[in-house]
This record gives sequence, C-alpha cells and structure tokens, in this order.
Amino acid sequence: MQTTISIFKKGAVQRKRHPKVEDMIETLKLIIKNKVAMTGLVITMTYMILALLDVIYPAYLGYGPNIITSLPQLLPPGTPLGEQLPTPPTFANGWHYWFGTTVGAYPLFPAILASLRIDLGYSLVIVLTGAIVGIFVGTFSGYFGGFWDELMMRITDVFYSIPFLVMAIAFTTILSYSLLQDHVPVNGFNLVALALIIIWWPTYARLTRSITLSLKSSRFIEAAVASGSSRIRNVVTHIIPGVLSPVFVQISLDLGSIVLVFATLEFLGLGAIIQINSYTPELGNLITIGQAYLVTGDWWPIFIPGVFLLIFTVGINIFGDGMRDVLDPKMRR
Amino acid sequence: MELKYYIIRRLLILIPTALGLLLMTFILLRAIPVSDLIANYVNQRASPAQRAIEKQQAIALLGIGQPLPEQFYIYIVDILHGNLGNMYSNFYSGPVIVGIEDYLPFTLELTIFTVIVSVLIAIPLGTFIGSRPNTVADSTGRVFSLIFFAMPIFWLALVLQLVFGKNIGPLGAYGLPISGQGYPSTQQVGFIVNGVSQPTHMLFIDSVLHGDFPLALVALEHLILPVLTLSMSILAGLLRFIRAGMVDTANQEYIKTARAKGVPEKMVLKKHIRKNALLPSVTVIGLLVAGLLGGVVVVEDIFKLEGLGRLSLAAVVGTVGNNIQFYGVAGTILFFGLILMLTNLIVDVVYAFLDPRIRY
Amino acid sequence: MIIEETKSEKTQEIKPYVEVKDLVTQFFTARGIVKALDRVSFSVYPGEIYGLVGESGCGKSVTSTSVMDLIPDPPGRVVSGEIFIDNFNILSDIKTLARIKIKSETDVRIKRNKRALKRHNNVLSHIRGDKISMIFQEPFLALNPTMSIGEQIMEVIMLHNISSISESMIRRENISSGDVNEFITKYYSLNDDTLKRKTVNNFTASYAIHEFEESIISLLTTSDDRQYIETEILNMIRENKSGINIENIKTIKGYYDLQREIFQMTLKLLQAERTGETSAVNRYTTEIRKLKRIESGNFFNLKMKLRFAYKHYMAEYRKEARRRTMELLTLVNIAGPEVVIDSYPHELSGGMQQRAMIAMALASNPNMLIADEPTTALDVTTQAQILEIIKDLNKLIGMAVLFITHDLAVIAETCNRVGVMYAGNIVEEASTVETFNDPKHPYTVGLMSSVPRADKKREKELKLETIPGTVPNLITPPSGCRFHPRCKFAMDICSLKKPKLVEISKNHKVACFLYSDESEVE
Repeated sequence: MQTTISIFKKGAVQRKRHPKVEDMIETLKLIIKNKVAMTGLVITMTYMILALLDVIYPAYLGYGPNIITSLPQLLPPGTPLGEQLPTPPTFANGWHYWFGTTVGAYPLFPAILASLRIDLGYSLVIVLTGAIVGIFVGTFSGYFGGFWDELMMRITDVFYSIPFLVMAIAFTTILSYSLLQDHVPVNGFNLVALALIIIWWPTYARLTRSITLSLKSSRFIEAAVASGSSRIRNVVTHIIPGVLSPVFVQISLDLGSIVLVFATLEFLGLGAIIQINSYTPELGNLITIGQAYLVTGDWWPIFIPGVFLLIFTVGINIFGDGMRDVLDPKMRR
Repeated sequence: MELKYYIIRRLLILIPTALGLLLMTFILLRAIPVSDLIANYVNQRASPAQRAIEKQQAIALLGIGQPLPEQFYIYIVDILHGNLGNMYSNFYSGPVIVGIEDYLPFTLELTIFTVIVSVLIAIPLGTFIGSRPNTVADSTGRVFSLIFFAMPIFWLALVLQLVFGKNIGPLGAYGLPISGQGYPSTQQVGFIVNGVSQPTHMLFIDSVLHGDFPLALVALEHLILPVLTLSMSILAGLLRFIRAGMVDTANQEYIKTARAKGVPEKMVLKKHIRKNALLPSVTVIGLLVAGLLGGVVVVEDIFKLEGLGRLSLAAVVGTVGNNIQFYGVAGTILFFGLILMLTNLIVDVVYAFLDPRIRY
Repeated sequence: MIIEETKSEKTQEIKPYVEVKDLVTQFFTARGIVKALDRVSFSVYPGEIYGLVGESGCGKSVTSTSVMDLIPDPPGRVVSGEIFIDNFNILSDIKTLARIKIKSETDVRIKRNKRALKRHNNVLSHIRGDKISMIFQEPFLALNPTMSIGEQIMEVIMLHNISSISESMIRRENISSGDVNEFITKYYSLNDDTLKRKTVNNFTASYAIHEFEESIISLLTTSDDRQYIETEILNMIRENKSGINIENIKTIKGYYDLQREIFQMTLKLLQAERTGETSAVNRYTTEIRKLKRIESGNFFNLKMKLRFAYKHYMAEYRKEARRRTMELLTLVNIAGPEVVIDSYPHELSGGMQQRAMIAMALASNPNMLIADEPTTALDVTTQAQILEIIKDLNKLIGMAVLFITHDLAVIAETCNRVGVMYAGNIVEEASTVETFNDPKHPYTVGLMSSVPRADKKREKELKLETIPGTVPNLITPPSGCRFHPRCKFAMDICSLKKPKLVEISKNHKVACFLYSDESEVE
C-alpha cells in the first residue's frame, strides 16, 4: 500500500502554545474542514452582510423601510424596469424586477432586504440576551443547588409546558397591552423581542444547568475547591467557559427558530396589537401581504419571501449541526 | 408491578407544574388593570341590568378586595368549577369554557391525525435511511428533513394551497379545499345534537362510527392539507432523530455481540438495532407535539378551521379595534398547556412501559 | 506464580482450529490510515488457551475482532490476510468485498460490493456463534439493554441448535424399550457417581425429557429391578407425549437442514471461486439455485408462519431453549438462574453480566471462545472466579480459548501459549513457561521485568524505567521494526527492515534481528 502524502516528522515543527489556544486552533481547523458547516456559515454571513448593508447605506438599495409607492400594479418576477417607478432605485438601475413586486408595486428584493435587517437584528438580540440570562441563571442555580435551583427548575417546567408559539402570542399581547396602556413609548418590535426573551431564557437555563451539574463533579472543579477558590469565582472562571461551546451551538440552532417565530407572529397579525404599520417590511408580514393575492394565483408575493426565510433557516441550521459535530468531543477522533 | 408506581409518581410530579401553569395565567391576568378585566367580562351589547349583573360576577370572579393569595385561591376554585370568564369576538362570543369545549375536539383531531401520519411515515423511512448511512438515500433523507425542519409552517401551508388548492393551483376544481368553508361545524351535524350518541366530538371519527361515509370523506378532504402541513415539520424532526438513533445504536457494543452470536444481518437490524433506536424517539414526540401545537394555531388560521388555535387568535386579534379578550387568552393558554402536559405524561408512561431500564 | 508445563509438543501434530496468516487490518480515519495490524500470524490449537498480551493500543482487541471479521466498517477494514476457522478460510472472498483506493492518507475511497458483502455476512453468520464465539471487555455494554438475559441466550440456541433440538424431540416421540434398556445398562456399568449423573443428564438431554431427570434418578436409586425401571421410564415418557405435532417438527427440521446444506454448498462455492475452477463454480451455483428453489417451493408456508407467528409456532423449541439456558446459567455458577433468566442486564452486577455473556457464548457448543479482556472491568475476586470458569470450561469441554489481556499475571495463570504483541505485530510467541523464564525479544524482556513481583504499587515506575517511550502512533508507525525507537539494542538494520517471526528454538518464535537475519519480504 503506497501513500503519497508528506508527513511531518515528529518534533520538527513543534512550537509550544498554550493548550487552550492549541485546542481552539484545532477546532477552527475542523470547522473549516467541515463542508456542511462552512456552507451554513457562508449562507448566514451573506444574509448578515445584506442586512448590514441595508442598515449602513439604505439608499444604495434604493428604498428605506416604510416607503410605499402608489402604483397599483403587481408585476411578476423578471419584469424589466420601466419608467413607471417614481424614483429609479440606485441598486436596481439597469436591473429587472427579478423577484417581482408586491403590494403597491413595491419591488420584493429591497423589501426583503429591509425585512432581513429587522428579522435578523431582533432575532440576534433575542437569542443573545436570552442566552446570557439563561447562562447566568443556569450555571449559578446548578452550581449552588438548593431551594433556588428547585424553584428555577419548576419555573422552567412551567415554561416548557406551554407550546412556544401560543405563549409568545399571549406574552406579546399582554405585555404590549399593559405597557401601551401606561403610555410607555416602546417600539412594537422591541415589545415582541422583550416578550420572546422572557420566554426564551429557560432553554438556556436548562441546558447550562445540566452541563454545570456534570462539570461540578469533574476533577478540575474539585481541585479548584480544594485550593480554596471561592464559589462565585469558580462559576465565573471554570463553569461558564465550560458551557460556552454547547450554548454557542444552541444559539446557532435557535437563531433559525427565533426568526421563524418572529415572522410567524407578524404573519398572524400581531403587528396590529403592537401598533406596527401593516406595510412594514418584515418577512412574515410580506407573506401576509402576499396572502391577499392567493386567490388570483399570483404566487411570488408569497413564495419568494418564504424562500428567503427558508434558505436562511436552513443555512443557520446546518451551520449549527456542523458546529455540534465539531464541538462534540464524542465526534472527534 | 413497578409500572403502576411509576405512573403514580409521574402524576404527582404533574401537580406542581399544573399549579405553576395556573400561577402563570393568573399573573398574566393580573398584569392587566382591574377595570379593563371587568369591562372585558361584561357583554357591552347587553341591557344595562344584565351588564350590572355581569359586572358583579366579574368582581366576584376576580376576588377584588381580597389579598393576592386569596385571589389566586378563588381563581383556582373558579377554574375547577369551569368558570374561565367570557370573551366577545367575531369568531366566538360567550363563556370561554364553552368555546373551548366546542373547539378543542377539532384541535385534538388535527393533532392526533398529524402525530399518527408522521409516526407512520417516519418509522419505516427513518429506519430505512438510518440503516444505510452515507448513501444516496441517506443524504436525500437528510436534506429533506433539514429543509422541512427549518421551513416556516405558515409559508408551507400557503405554498400547499397554491399547489393543491381548489380553484387556485394546477388541479383547478379538483383541488383540495383551502378554507374551512364547507367543513360542517359540530352543531350542523345531526348526530352531534343532544340525544344522539356523540362519542368523540371529532367529526371524522364520529362520522365513521355512525357509518356516514360521505361526511367522513368531506371531513377527510378538509383535513388532508392541514395534516400534511403540520406533519412535515414533525416528520422531519422525527426522521432526524430516528436516523441519528439508528446510526448511534449500530455502533454500540451489543450490536457487535449480536453479530458475534451469528445473528443474520437482517435480524440484527430488526431485533437489535431498530428497537433500541426507536425507544428514545418516543420521548421526542412530546417535544415535537409542543411545536406542533404552535403550528396548529397557524394552520387553523390559514385554513380557516374551527379549533382551539383559532379561538386563541380570535381572543387576540379577532375583534374590532383589537379589543383584546384576556379571559380568552388565559383560557386557551391553559388548555394548550393541558394538552401538552397530558401528551408528555402519555409519552413518559409509554416509554417506561417499553424500556425496562426506566422502571426502577 | 504457578506456571504449569503444557502439552505444547503434542499440539504440533494436531491441525490448528484457528489459523491466522498475514492479517492486515487498517482504519481509515480523517487523520490518516491507522495501520492497526501488520501481518499478524498465529494459530490456536484445539483444547489450548492461547494468550495475546501487550500494552493497550497494540492491536490485541483488533486482532480478536478481526478473527470474527467484526471490525466496524467504516472506519476499519480487514485489508488482506487469511483466517482459517475449522479449515475454512473466512477471508477467501476478501478481494471481491471492497475496492480500496488510496489517494492520500486522509482521502481514501472504499467501494463496497454489496452483493458480495451480503453473501460474506451470510456465510459468516453461520460460523460466528456456531464454531467460534466471543466475550467482551465490558459486559454491560455488550449486552442488549432492552432484552432479558434469557432472551439473549435463547436467541443463540434458536439460531444454531434447532436441528439438534428437533432430533431429540423426534427421538422422544419414537422412544423404544431398547433405547431405555441401553441407557440402564450403561448406568449400572458405571461406578463413579458424577459419571452416573452425567449419563442420566445425557439421556434426558438427548430425548428432551429434562423434566423427568429427578424422578429417573430417584427411580434408579430406590429400585433394583431393571425391568420395572424400564417400563416406568417408558410410561413416564409416553404419558407425557403431549400435543407436539411431530410432522411440524419434521418440517422445521427439514427447513433448517436445508439451510445448512445451502450454507455448506456456499462454502464449497467460495472455495471453488478462490481456486478459480469454473466448472466447479458453475456446478455449485446450479446446486445452490436448486436448493433455493426447493426452499421457496416446499417451505413457503413454513416461512410465512415463522415470519408472522414465530413465537407461537416455535413454542416447543423455545421451551427447550429456555431449559438449556437455565442449564447454561447454572453451568457458569449464576446463583438463582430462575430469577436471572428474566432479568435485564442493568439489574445484574458486572460479574453476573460477564457470566451471562459466557453462558451466551457457550450456548451453541462452539469449539472455540475468544475472550477479549474478559476480566478487565471486574473487581479482583470476580476476576478470579471468571478465570476459573474459563479454565474449567477449557478442561471439561476441551474448548480452545483465545485469551486477550494486558495483565501478565492473568496470562501466567491461564494460558498454555503466549503471543506478545507490539504495535500491530506479534514479536514473540512461546509457551507460557518459556515466555516468563526465557524471554528473547527486547520488548518481552522489558515487559517481563516490569512485572511487579513483590510490590504492586511500583508497577508503573518500573514500567517507565524498563521500556522508555510509549506505543507509537500507528498512523505513522516507525519504519522497519516498529519497536526500534524504544529498543536498547537497536541496530542500523532495525529501522530499515522488518524482522520476520522465526522459530529460534522448538516452539519459540521471535521477530528480532538479534536472533535471526530474516526479514519480511515487502
């Protein structure tokens, strides 16, 4: 059996690095090698860049949010640009309406870009905040145990016993009602985000708690306790870094779900409750708008925003799957 | 038998969760100003005298003037007596408990059908692709499950309507109904009326039991697209899990033992891998049903079907001027929670029954 | 340490039961190809206990799994070599199973031939468990958690022993006074009590009338009238003929015998394919096809019944299998077999689990047992008991044992011959006495001097002292002799060529250039 690869001689190029750095480099290499994860990452990054572009320089894309033109026509995908537009979009100059238009002759592509900004931005905020809250609650209650731990578990039990979407609807409604009743000036989307954070953190609390419990009995924590390190210090320096990588995987998987929930809430018409303009570009809302054209069989106002949403969730999911494969010590050989 | 004690213990664990659930709806209700809660209870179109009576009922129901723990106690007692308050919306007006009674059966029917359909498809398909990892069939299955797992349900429902819908898609008039219109409501059907047996309140099952097959066909016709929509996501989740379980189990040491015993390859798959791989997927069903119940809200909304999801949405956005019906919101949450809790209970008991390791 | 002199001289004339020649097993991982076994050759003779010893990671377990062809694929494969089990080379079709294309260390394409693999596995399923069975290091992991112990043992019996059970059942139905008379005469001709007991046991077993064993013994001990005893026994059996359908049993037996015949034919076919005799290949292929036609023609009904009502249809067999299981559990010293038979693996202790594993391995009366570190996961007292059971079985039944361990004390206590493994090679092979008293290979010398003779705590320190370094990474094994980087006596040739395992004195083989200049032909 012949092998053609050149093999590094042992000891030839061995620089001494910190073992943690070494481990991180090893992990990074594995991620880059994992084609599926990289595909997911590329898809996700493309979406992020598009969303960022819309924040930084919306004029480049031609339209900011909340612009409605008065053209009544619904144009199918691939229609060449005509003069019927009031102001020719800079981004779309010389382009076609590749994705057609939706209500008010509003081109779908810029609408989707504007939607991405809202969907991705809020989802990121929700997931990250939820994760941070969850990590703290989970690690501390898991490490200290006792009454608060039991209480925390019961609270998460209750959150787990209600279907997520139903709970999201209820929380958003009641939160918005009580805040708007008191004339607290809150942006509607912020309200949704707040409601989702309230019901999202238990996932992370559960996850981190279970990891904390297994870490707690491991050798290095016992060593730290024996050397007289304080309990809070232990949690911060040993436990929290230990839970980060599974939490990271969970975040990447959850981002997709949260985008879906966010869009679904809009789709169900909660925008009216949280006092959002019903033409606000948001993927769920765009699909709701498209639903009006269902009876005439015009498919693109529904189909295209959904495809964008789908590609994003698939991308982020395969990224999360790939990350889990890489970060799971069992999978490493 | 140990299983009996396991079930009893499992039921006892249910109590704090149920109490927590009640506490949560209680807190949600108390986040609303009391005056609004009272106004919500009263039918604004009724006569002034009637309104005064209802106002008194609302004050009694809320236990106004009492300390908070006392109020919570009153709240629980009221719920145990079936008093969940009133709601008034375009979709349904009246006591919440009656609304739930009317619409819960359909949601149950939808859920049960979906779970059955997806389990029936997922088990053979999952074992098939799980038994040959890294083949074309496996990759196809993985891509399929990945896409459907990540797919927005509302979008899938609309696309299915576009493709299969009556008078919309390529099927034209032969397509499937896209709205609940024509789906006989429970009141319209003869055998549901008082005096005649009404075993389940689920239209399809009842009509089959009564031998009314044309009606069963109508019910089925209306169920196909919603069930298809809902089962896609649950199917994808199950498929992923079963496949992973099969691959994982195939690498276990005891499979090697089975081969070392001289068990033929086919029997290894059937007798040793499949059972051990399918067992944990029973537990996932509980989790998937949680997602499914969320999907029920969306699907009932899109297909205009009369179920619990529709009711809960009606309480939120179903009134003129978005006059939120708080009792409706709280009541539907409570029952969705109840369905989920029961599902989890059943799942745990079934799992304990199947897996000898649980019954200790 | 007690080391017995063995009958190693005698073994030379007998044909080996298992003969492994130039076995190469590799694992194709993302980090590169792990060359786990590099031309391993050894033989196990009937009735002996052959020990394989070495540091962890030297390929002992890979060897044992390869002998059963149970290497998990992917990532591993037996790449080449020959394994003769009872004179049949189970790897005779290895070339047709898979085509391995090595582009680079990390990029290996394996193309498997599904049909060939199916036939290969089918043939092997008749050999595994039947001729050779295996017990594993971690009994808890090796037992199916959702099947009761009894079910798992019965499975083996129902797979391999249907024919013999059928025969004994048919014999019971057709029992004549002559048969009983013969048994009684034999019984009275014996003097030894245990032998008498054994005769009764054999008699009841061969006629599947185990439930009468106690009453027969009491009859024999209380009465002297042979005529009376004979009629009594005959009556006992005839009265209990029960509702067994003898025709059914005959059909089932016919079916399993046919299966066996097909298997034998397939073996012949494989042999013919290997030698390349086209006429023989054709003959056997048509023969197999004919048999299969008979199978699908005559036994269609039976197959359907077995498929859909197996438990009901085979109830009589299951009863007998259960009885045998009970016997096996008693044989391996399990206390309370009637409870254990229906319990699940997690309800038993480690020692009990390993006993159950052994019972399972014995269920089909194999001629050889592979014990892959059977005592490593157990505590010391249990360890001794398990070893005792294995030794007893070896002595009583004459079962050959391939014993794998890293524990030299265990080797010294149990084995007749020892092969010392290092990094995927057997470096020395000799009788146990010679290995311990006169080790030749530098690695064996180091290993032996690392044995704690007085102070067990110093084991590790001593080991480090005597053999510097660790087992090499087998993705990039050292060139030539794989031990040379750690060897005190390393010469120039050691890193260039690989020494061959040569016999330097009678029954003592060493692979080292210190003793012989012969090297492996590349």
